Amino acid sequence: MIRVLGYCGFLERNGVVLPENGVDGAPVNVLAENGLRVLWSDVNWPFDANSLQRHAIEFHRVVHHVFAQTAVVPFRLLSLFENKEELRWLLQQNRGAFSADLERLAGLVQMECVSYFVPQREEREATSGMQFMKQKAGMWKSLEEYSERVQDALATISRGVRIREVKYGRRLFVLVERGCEQQFRETVQGLPLPAGMKYRTSGPWPAAEFLSDSVKAPQVAGKR
Amino acid sequence: MGRGLPTLLSPMPPELESSTINTTSEDDVSLLDILDHVLNAGVIVHGTLVISLAGVDLVYLGLNVVLTSVETAMRQLQVEEARSQR
Repeated sequence: MIRVLGYCGFLERNGVVLPENGVDGAPVNVLAENGLRVLWSDVNWPFDANSLQRHAIEFHRVVHHVFAQTAVVPFRLLSLFENKEELRWLLQQNRGAFSADLERLAGLVQMECVSYFVPQREEREATSGMQFMKQKAGMWKSLEEYSERVQDALATISRGVRIREVKYGRRLFVLVERGCEQQFRETVQGLPLPAGMKYRTSGPWPAAEFLSDSVKAPQVAGKR
Repeated sequence: MGRGLPTLLSPMPPELESSTINTTSEDDVSLLDILDHVLNAGVIVHGTLVISLAGVDLVYLGLNVVLTSVETAMRQLQVEEARSQR
């Protein structure tokens, strides 16, 4: 069956060049609503499971094509609408929140630093529960301290921080102005790492972690 | 939606720890990062399942199929990348 797949929303600006094709080569269309624009395509649903990776990359390319030029509110890949009117309804109902977030995040991008421990053999083979708990507590303390050092070091360029705990690590999302990406990477790279800890950086990404809750989970037609 | 999507990078599996991403070039972004971001970050439309329930359970079924596929894909990727690093 055909469904409408939303890619991202952005504020209408002169000179934003749009991608022609999206997921599965489908034409990318624009839905405009009082200064807010959303890109969408008709797609065959459900996706062929074997094509999901390709679709993810195609989806990513559409979002990043626009994101390279202006702030976007990215949709998740599996955000499907029954038809264009459902998507339009979402825009009409949530235009204020979407626009406010896009104005707030204009000129900003999200960078990420994930720090984590690779479990050592002796840690995995901790002989007692107490030993295991001690190792774990030490690990989290180190992660927390490292995370604080990163935040302090980035204070001059950081416009916001979000932290998510993950297994064996911490994801630090930092909002920075466009153009500060390299400074972010170099700053993180210049910090000493505690023994056994690893890190990696990525970005720039759309500032998805900094969206307001009403934009992350908007009202949709199905709730009417 | 009632069920969350899996966090795909929690954190990057040790096998892929060398896959650092330090440029803005799309080519240098790993598939794992892309999957993580396109599935786990951004607007989530809770109505998707409601819409599907109003019709046939195909979307719901499709979602399950897709999620299974992602998890399988992740495992395959990890194995392949670990092999290539040996």
